[in-house]
Amino acid sequence: MDIFTIIFWIITISLTIVALVKEKRRTFEAMKKSRSMMGNMLGQIISIIFLIGLILTFIPPESIKSVLGSSNVISGTIISGLAGAITLIPAFVAFPLVGSLVTAGASIIPAAAFLTTLTMVGFVTFPLEKKEFGTKFALSRNLLSFIFALIIAMMIGVIL
Amino acid sequence: MKILNFIKNNKLISFVSLVYLILLIFNSDKFMESISNSSYYLLEMIQILPAIFLLTAIIDTLIPKKVIVNRMGENSGFSGYILSLVLGSISAGPIYAAFPIAKTLLSKGAGISNIVIILSAWAVVKVPMLLNEVKFLGIDFMIVRWILTVIAIFTMGYITSRIVKKEDLPKEKSNSNEGILKINDDYCIGCGLCVKTLPEIYEMKNKKAIVKNSNPSKKVYDSIDKTIQKCPTQAIKFK
Repeated sequence: MDIFTIIFWIITISLTIVALVKEKRRTFEAMKKSRSMMGNMLGQIISIIFLIGLILTFIPPESIKSVLGSSNVISGTIISGLAGAITLIPAFVAFPLVGSLVTAGASIIPAAAFLTTLTMVGFVTFPLEKKEFGTKFALSRNLLSFIFALIIAMMIGVIL
Repeated sequence: MKILNFIKNNKLISFVSLVYLILLIFNSDKFMESISNSSYYLLEMIQILPAIFLLTAIIDTLIPKKVIVNRMGENSGFSGYILSLVLGSISAGPIYAAFPIAKTLLSKGAGISNIVIILSAWAVVKVPMLLNEVKFLGIDFMIVRWILTVIAIFTMGYITSRIVKKEDLPKEKSNSNEGILKINDDYCIGCGLCVKTLPEIYEMKNKKAIVKNSNPSKKVYDSIDKTIQKCPTQAIKFK
């Protein structure tokens, strides 16, 4: 567990104690409600995790290199954005990978597009988001995220 | 029939299991590789989901609805945006961990724009990730990308709240609705399933089911939910 997760846990446990001391009965009632809500999501979450494992096997992080290093900046940026939306590379792998490419001379714009869609657009979590918040919400949020990721990338290219 | 229904209701689980099964038979190397790739995320889930479970219960218990409506509701304005950004940024875990929290806040009156901001900030703005970014891509890159991302997240929140209205979101489970239980007798085919499950609430009359106790006690709400889901023509509803 990294330090941030540990802090997150410490805050959660202290708040739980406060809640139990203040409103014991209501806290247990709320826990029952949460249990049924999260129980409904758990199956989906576990399948998403195994789906990520599959995607990582068939689209390994190294394959991103050829996409990010493409010579045409505009098409390279869009393809990098799409690659970031579909794949789910852990951030601690993605940053060194992209960093090494930029140091080697690759354009910074596709790199920024890739890093932004990687976290903001959830292709694999889309089914769960759709189920919990509705198609319109999930579609709007993910499409807007994709468009804004491209805008962010372009602006980084202008500024830096 | 039962298996078909399960597949229909759990498309993702069925699809993923099928791919794994095919891999196990035809390419066991890839199967093992996929399993070991998944294990990192599985561990991450085990570390974070119990905390999320506790947090949703705490939000429900400790924070009054009025506070959430005032601070994060449709009319909470820019300070609501900032609060959502901070909440999303300081939290730990992958984006799906944000879904239960967002749902709980939503049911307590948070606005759509603020929900979008929390989900996006939760995914993108992470202190350990920012540190990593400085290390490999430089501090200029990180700061510029962070500022642009925050502006983008706020704009997205605003635009989404214009496109998506509360009515577009899936309805909450009926046990949180304060309504009257009704059966639409145009739809009822008189199968008697609900009467068998809950004879104290429903009864048969003229070959159709009717509700004999339309204000049931809270204890049976879960069982009522089951009858609502089981009803083959979806004739039972809270109104």
